Amino acid sequence: MEAPPVTMMPVTGGTINMMEYLLQGSVLDHSLESLIHRLRGLCDNMEPETFLDHEMVFLLKGQQASPFVLRARRSMDRGGAPWHLRYLGQPEMGDKNRHALVRNCVDIATSENLTDFLMEMGFRMDHEFVAKGHLFRKGIMKIMVYKIFRILVPGNTDSTEALSLSYLVELSVVAPAGQDMVSDDMRNFAEQLKPLVHLEKIDPKRLM
Amino acid sequence: MCHTPIWVTHLFLLVQREEKQLEASLDALLSQVADLKNSLGSFIYKLENEYDRLTWPSVLDSFALLSGQLNTLNKVLKHEKTPLFRNQVIIPLVLSPDRDEDLMRQTEGRVPVFSHEVVPDHLRTKPDPEVEEQEKQLTTDAARIGADVAQKQIQSLNKMCSNLLEKISKEERESESGGLRPNKQTFNPADTNALVAAVAFGKGLSNWRPSGSSGPGQPGQPGAGTILAGASGLQQVQMAQAGQTGKMPSGIKTNIKSASMHPYQR
Repeated sequence: MEAPPVTMMPVTGGTINMMEYLLQGSVLDHSLESLIHRLRGLCDNMEPETFLDHEMVFLLKGQQASPFVLRARRSMDRGGAPWHLRYLGQPEMGDKNRHALVRNCVDIATSENLTDFLMEMGFRMDHEFVAKGHLFRKGIMKIMVYKIFRILVPGNTDSTEALSLSYLVELSVVAPAGQDMVSDDMRNFAEQLKPLVHLEKIDPKRLM
Repeated sequence: MCHTPIWVTHLFLLVQREEKQLEASLDALLSQVADLKNSLGSFIYKLENEYDRLTWPSVLDSFALLSGQLNTLNKVLKHEKTPLFRNQVIIPLVLSPDRDEDLMRQTEGRVPVFSHEVVPDHLRTKPDPEVEEQEKQLTTDAARIGADVAQKQIQSLNKMCSNLLEKISKEERESESGGLRPNKQTFNPADTNALVAAVAFGKGLSNWRPSGSSGPGQPGQPGAGTILAGASGLQQVQMAQAGQTGKMPSGIKTNIKSASMHPYQR
């Protein structure tokens, strides 16, 4: 069910395959303010945007060993916003020159009955969490600084508990396949956040 | 052949040489004093006309210039070729209340008349009475404290000055390198890994199962799995329970698998 590495496929038509370029790091709670100040200076000038999202990860187990993963995300503080369904492929490893983690990415906006639809299709919820934090933008780069909250009672987003004493910092770009210079821009931006935060490409398979 | 003895000729030559020296040193002194006068004049002009734009570094520059020129003046006076001016005497020969054009020209219009009002000021050799009094006071004080006490005072002053200089230079150096503070950690790499794992595949969040668990949702303990708070102690309890009832899920596995087989996949 996994798509082959998209950068090797010819573009034959249909929708353009989008790739997500990702760099991740974290910052301790007491240094959050300095990081926010620095980001406000570095990023595009806009009102500081905060978000409170509830994300649920659904798995579809088939005959293959690895299940198919879909992520459903809804905003808890913005009423009326559509739900966001996302597919993220396996990260393309091996290219040492590429400074960011690259994976295939499909983003879809859906209506509110997404969870029912997924359950009917056979997906089962694997885990969920609440993400609360800040959002910054610089050109096509999106920087999210958020805290992950564990949901103690499934389905009840009020009883949450912070997962750690740090905020996760993610620098991501969603761009068409093949634009590797994007990772150079990301690395230059990441340099400016040192030594507060070390943004690097972290392979999730190493952490399993 | 003259009848003047040798020593008279030698004396005559000596006097000539001295006169030449005197003239040369007077010329040097004159040029130095003229420089000093110019810089003083420009400083006064700056103070009077540009006082609202004046900055402290600019004032310091002017003072430094004056101090340097006074130093060279002192050097000229101490020069070995300079005869002792102390031995020369200036006596006014003619005093007149009439305007002297020559004098006016030489003094750039400042002294028009060589009269008895001007002479005491311009030809004075002693300082003001108050200044003379202060100088006398200082010299008596200095003589009173004795040579070694004076030496000790000089040494302590030097030491204090050097201490102060050292402190200032250290502060300067430290403030530049104060940017790098390695003892203040702003991020924790372990936290980074934990957070990335949580977002990537739900490690540490609720419903986390160890990899290689049997089937989706163990039928025997749905409650234990979901109420799990993620604490490691509780997880171990869950794994122990799974171990105990390990035999049961294996029997039910095939049934569950066939039930979860998606009808559309056939």
